[in-house]
Amino acid sequence: MHDRLTQSMRASHLLALLFVLASLGLAAIGAVTGDTFYLRLGTEALIFAGLALSVDLLLGYSGALSLGQALYFGIGAYVSALTLMKVPSFWLAMAAAFAASLLAAIIGGLIANRVRGVYFALITFGLAQVFAKVVYNTRELGASDGMIGIPVIEIGFGPFSVSAGSPVGFFLVVLSIIMGLYALTAYLLDTPFGRVLTALKANEKRVPFLGYSVWRARMAAYVLAGLIAGLSGALYPMLRGFVSPELMFFATSGNAVISVILGGVGTLIGAIYGSVLLVILKSIIGSWTEHHLIVIGALFMVCVMFLPKGLIGFVRPRIEALLMRRPQAGPALAEPARLTPAALKSGSAS
Amino acid sequence: MTSAIIKTLIGGLLAATALSGGAFAQSGPIKIGVVTPLSGTYTPIGQQVRWGLELAAKEINAAGGVAGRQVALVFEDEEANPAVAVQKAEKLFQVEKVDFLTGTVNSGSTLAVAQLAERNNKLAATTVSFADSITGDKCSPNMFRVNARAEQQSVALAAWLAKEKPKAKVYYLGPDYEMGRSTVAAFKSSAEKTGSATGGEVFAPLDSKDYTQYFGQIRATRPQVLYTSVAGNDTVRLLTQLQDFGLLSGLTVVGASGTVTSQNITAIGAAAEGFATGVGYSPQIDRPENKKFVEAFRAANKADPDLYGADSYGLLFAYKAAVEKAGSTETDKVREALRGLTWQTPQGAKTIRAGDHQAMQPMYVVRVTKGKFDIIDNVAAENAIGPDACTRF
Repeated sequence: MHDRLTQSMRASHLLALLFVLASLGLAAIGAVTGDTFYLRLGTEALIFAGLALSVDLLLGYSGALSLGQALYFGIGAYVSALTLMKVPSFWLAMAAAFAASLLAAIIGGLIANRVRGVYFALITFGLAQVFAKVVYNTRELGASDGMIGIPVIEIGFGPFSVSAGSPVGFFLVVLSIIMGLYALTAYLLDTPFGRVLTALKANEKRVPFLGYSVWRARMAAYVLAGLIAGLSGALYPMLRGFVSPELMFFATSGNAVISVILGGVGTLIGAIYGSVLLVILKSIIGSWTEHHLIVIGALFMVCVMFLPKGLIGFVRPRIEALLMRRPQAGPALAEPARLTPAALKSGSAS
Repeated sequence: MTSAIIKTLIGGLLAATALSGGAFAQSGPIKIGVVTPLSGTYTPIGQQVRWGLELAAKEINAAGGVAGRQVALVFEDEEANPAVAVQKAEKLFQVEKVDFLTGTVNSGSTLAVAQLAERNNKLAATTVSFADSITGDKCSPNMFRVNARAEQQSVALAAWLAKEKPKAKVYYLGPDYEMGRSTVAAFKSSAEKTGSATGGEVFAPLDSKDYTQYFGQIRATRPQVLYTSVAGNDTVRLLTQLQDFGLLSGLTVVGASGTVTSQNITAIGAAAEGFATGVGYSPQIDRPENKKFVEAFRAANKADPDLYGADSYGLLFAYKAAVEKAGSTETDKVREALRGLTWQTPQGAKTIRAGDHQAMQPMYVVRVTKGKFDIIDNVAAENAIGPDACTRF
């Protein structure tokens, strides 16, 4: 009874499981060797993976390219920072970041969702730039210097607590939050709501004929993406102890888009792999030569030319094939025959 | 691809452990981390920082090193972005195990790195950032500043202006961001204290291509003096456009020390004539130590040192003096040794004020004459330093 989307998402989930296992393994090595830098770099990569995930939700599913997703990441980071400086509570900071990015995403969505395609990309870009400039020039928010002095907090889970200053502890907290966001997004995309989004990307004009509101679906996807970016951003000041307006600049949004393209658009887990890969590459190549931007640019071009579907987009069909070959996939093999006429019809109509 | 990532990470982790194993050795070189912009808009400043430090390290090593140990510099590109600076600084502290850190240019990076140094119990210094907050309300026990801060520069310049053009009407044009606004505010308060009147002020976005839109406002207030704190290529555009519109005649242009530097003075050309600023350094300073430094710098880099190069050069000698006085590279001992330290630099003796970790130094007023900066006035260190506003330690 599995259709193509479910099939490929199962492959994504397998890759997600691999990712978690690899992360846990590396965290264990890091904990044993007493490493700090690589664990914290990994944590930062995961935080930016959350941002990339939100870009992929928009780009890969509803087909809207956001060039300003760092706006919500930044709002999450600043609100979390401001909350933590008043009350050093993890849950309060996350709740405040959730509320602020929800509100901001609703307002941003009302503006951006009036237009489509390249205009949507430009509006999201503009919104983020305007907001970043406002923060950049607001002395109460630290202006161009940003804000320092965000305390190292204790994160309480019932009777247990983890310090954000503990490299391995905070890595695991961030890993579970980001993978939780991945799971939530993957689940939502598997519901009828997710199918409407996929339909939007395929052919937006036909969606109203099926009885769905295009605007409502686009808005829901936009707000959800804003929330994911905001919650990821909220983790940043806990890790680094400061926020600066650069977090909202185009470089941050642009890196997220590059991560998604590198990992594979529309694969969700690709965004996470892509982001981790980009952060590691930047760190290694950046230490090696000051011309790191040229090297990363060239790698990106090679990737777009030879792996147009991204790394995960390249790997995933092979995993799907593996999953299909397993015995329980037997009855599903009969499905394509029944699906074909419908597929043909939609092909000729568009 | 997963395995590639894992391999990279494991490789990194192994490298990290291998390095941490050797960190106990007190006989190896003293490692100094340099997190400075090597790409992007601030590259020319990062270049001067790098040249200054490299020259100082070469001279110190040739003379036997610091307490018998050689100095090794480890560079990282911070892209003038605090988020990158903090990540790179953490790498230098944790993986490279550097003993000391310097190089940050924009004040956001310096402040964020100061906090990181505190959390890693290491020391850091800036040789470039001049925002007053770094040794003021946001001072850190682990951060030192060996260059002149904004207040020192504006006090020196205002003192000269009061003599040169008493009770002049001043118009202010700054770059539209916090640092631009704070430099304008600082100079305005210094200038008003010495009797100047304020004609008006305007803030132009960074990287403005066209400044002529502000010229109407400037002309309308008929100022005798224009103060500006734009920098880099913005200065080139501002001053050449002012010249093209004939606004420079009868107008004294003064500015921040980073406004006209050896990096952009050639591009500005004749439009830079008469520009005056307050600085902590000029290659013209008539001292034998400075002549020797300028010659060595030119020979090594085929370029003149500017204030960033000279202050970075001087920093390593402060660190050398402090480590030798402390007899150790331990954070607490070196911090104690740096507090109140007086040492010789190309621009004269500097003293680190113990109360806020700000270097006190003689200040100079320089003016562009025939494409070169000439020293026209100086202010003693004690008169330019301003009050200690740091309350944290």
